[in-house]
Amino acid sequence: MSDDPVRRQGPPEERRRQRFISKSSAVSLKYLRRVEELPHMPEALTPFLHILGHVFVEQGGAVKPEHIPTVGTYCVMVPPELIYAAGAMPVKLCGGSYTAFNIGDDVAPRDACPLVKAVMGFETVGAAPVYRECAMIAVPVTCDCKKKLAGYLGERRPTVALHVPSGRDRDEDMERFVEELYAFGAKLTELTGAPLSYERLSWACGLTAAAQYELSRFITLRRKAPLVIKGTHYMAAMNAMSYTHISLWTRHMRALCDELEQRIRNGEMASKENRPRILVTGSPIVFPNFKLPLLIEEMGGALVADETCMGERGAYDPPAIVDQSTDGILRALANRSTRPCTCPTFVDNKRRLYRIRQMIEDYRVEGVIYHVLRGCLVYDYEYRAMEEELGKLGVPIIRVESDYNEEDVEQLRIRIEAFVELIKYGKR
Amino acid sequence: MKVYAGLDGGSTYLKAALIDEYGRVLRTGVTSTGIDNNASAKRLLAGLMEACGVSRVDYTMATGYSRKILEVADDDVSEITAHAYGVRVTAPKEYRSGMIVDIGGQDSKIIYLDANYTVKNFTMNDKCAAGTGKFMEVIAQILETTIDQVGPLSLESTAPCDINSTCVVFAQSEVISLVARKFDRRDILSGMHLSMAKRIIKMMKKSEKDGDVLMTGGGALNIGLRKAFEDELMRDVFVANYPQFNGAIGAALLASERG
Ligand code: SF4
Ligand code: SF4
Repeated sequence: MSDDPVRRQGPPEERRRQRFISKSSAVSLKYLRRVEELPHMPEALTPFLHILGHVFVEQGGAVKPEHIPTVGTYCVMVPPELIYAAGAMPVKLCGGSYTAFNIGDDVAPRDACPLVKAVMGFETVGAAPVYRECAMIAVPVTCDCKKKLAGYLGERRPTVALHVPSGRDRDEDMERFVEELYAFGAKLTELTGAPLSYERLSWACGLTAAAQYELSRFITLRRKAPLVIKGTHYMAAMNAMSYTHISLWTRHMRALCDELEQRIRNGEMASKENRPRILVTGSPIVFPNFKLPLLIEEMGGALVADETCMGERGAYDPPAIVDQSTDGILRALANRSTRPCTCPTFVDNKRRLYRIRQMIEDYRVEGVIYHVLRGCLVYDYEYRAMEEELGKLGVPIIRVESDYNEEDVEQLRIRIEAFVELIKYGKR
Repeated sequence: MKVYAGLDGGSTYLKAALIDEYGRVLRTGVTSTGIDNNASAKRLLAGLMEACGVSRVDYTMATGYSRKILEVADDDVSEITAHAYGVRVTAPKEYRSGMIVDIGGQDSKIIYLDANYTVKNFTMNDKCAAGTGKFMEVIAQILETTIDQVGPLSLESTAPCDINSTCVVFAQSEVISLVARKFDRRDILSGMHLSMAKRIIKMMKKSEKDGDVLMTGGGALNIGLRKAFEDELMRDVFVANYPQFNGAIGAALLASERG
């Protein structure tokens, strides 16, 4: 039977793993191709796509120097500086895989969000080296799904549940989060043997500062010329950040900015001037779940900005270190990772409305698409306030709900196409 | 005279409308979609042109599910835009621009318009057939009547039945059990209309509930459904002229802006 082309080798578990790998590689490859096929792709985007291909198609590990261990993180509230300072490297593991989702669907309750189901799927099947190779995992306790995920992962491997305050206006809350970071730091030291000294921390802050510098350059370029790069291409670059050593990513980002600057000088744009300019906000958009950005641009919209936690939200200003000491840095990091954050898991999140208003102005946005992953209550809750706010500004908004499968693509397409037309015809 | 055509390719029917440069409807027609969409569309258009005595069409716009494959058309537009345009022609005079409730064969949608008939927003149900023409057809069959009779029959009801299921399959079995329990089919039909209306009203945005409501699509021809909407919303509901051709007429009107 060994030459049977569809019969896999080994025990059932192993055969399932192999099937999983080939299926998820195929889906990732398909989406990678669609990203590549979008016209006006900058040449400097290629290395970012290689990273996504390496991780999701070739099923390789994180892209990094060999000896460095990786620490899996979720959300934007785990300060990468701590991990780099300890001599490890963070990889952001929020999942976007439809294949993994299918497996996680059997583990998580029906109404859990697909992002967390995908993570549970990866964990259950034990494939995907980026997941497997992590020496430790840090899960911020934010929404209910993440909370239960922390518990689930904790039963299986070394996991730190990072208790993020749900409010950020009281000193006690911040104090507690600083303590959390200390405890997390101690775990990291246990793992690598490297103490979190002032020198190491400030060196790590330098690493992320360099990345943030390039990112802020990128954001400035894009504010000046919202159409200089397709939104899907931008999202691919941001997604690649999750799986790459930050110095490497910074280098790729620098090259991308250089190319975009050149484009602007040459008056070369990635989209026609009269295309409706759209901003995406809402639940995370994680590769390969790129159907939404792809549909927007394929249906004639220009995706000029995104306010999601895989996009600009990860690009806060560098930590403002007031007190030049280890404690000073930790406090600065605690502040940086929570205060400006627009994640809806905070009790009060008015700043998200401010941020959106700001972005609408900066990128001259003409319509907002509000993405809700099925079961992602925290984002769904905030829709109403957003709709009200945008109503005052006269900026149209639609809510689109989607899941990790391709069955809803046509429904999404109809809505997105009609939304693009709504803006187009509304302009005349 | 300039002539513009609109085609609305639905899942089972293909509809067409011809209008002149003043936006007057010259002729409408319908045919079953058939296997070859394009050939059906050509035949349908040729028939309409002949009936109006015109030899050429200046611009053709397609909408509906099959719009991308209708090669006879010069361009295509989504159903939302087409319907919003259509009501500029089909809405009765008293209607103040507000909300369109379109009940088609396979989906229903609500479109919110500003005072200038520009689309502000929309909501759609297209994952479930409950609340669509298809659902009405299924129920009519169970009750051994025809689709054009369900409206008039339901108006004679004195005690509408409760139909609570929000899913076609379950609603269907609910209806079957009502029949078995010897309920009057007029009461069953009336109950069905109420439950459809409720389901669609649930889709309406609370913030947009004040505008006038205009019904379009095949469902608008059903007087029983219209009454159910009026009863549930507790106010008047308008019905478009040529309701089932509203999409095609809108497409034709858009065509007239091009050609
Ligand atoms: S939205 Fe908030 S809780 Fe959800 S993944 Fe992003 S950072 Fe985490
Ligand atoms: S914020 Fe939403 S998408 Fe992210 S983990 Fe929570 S429920 Fe899932």
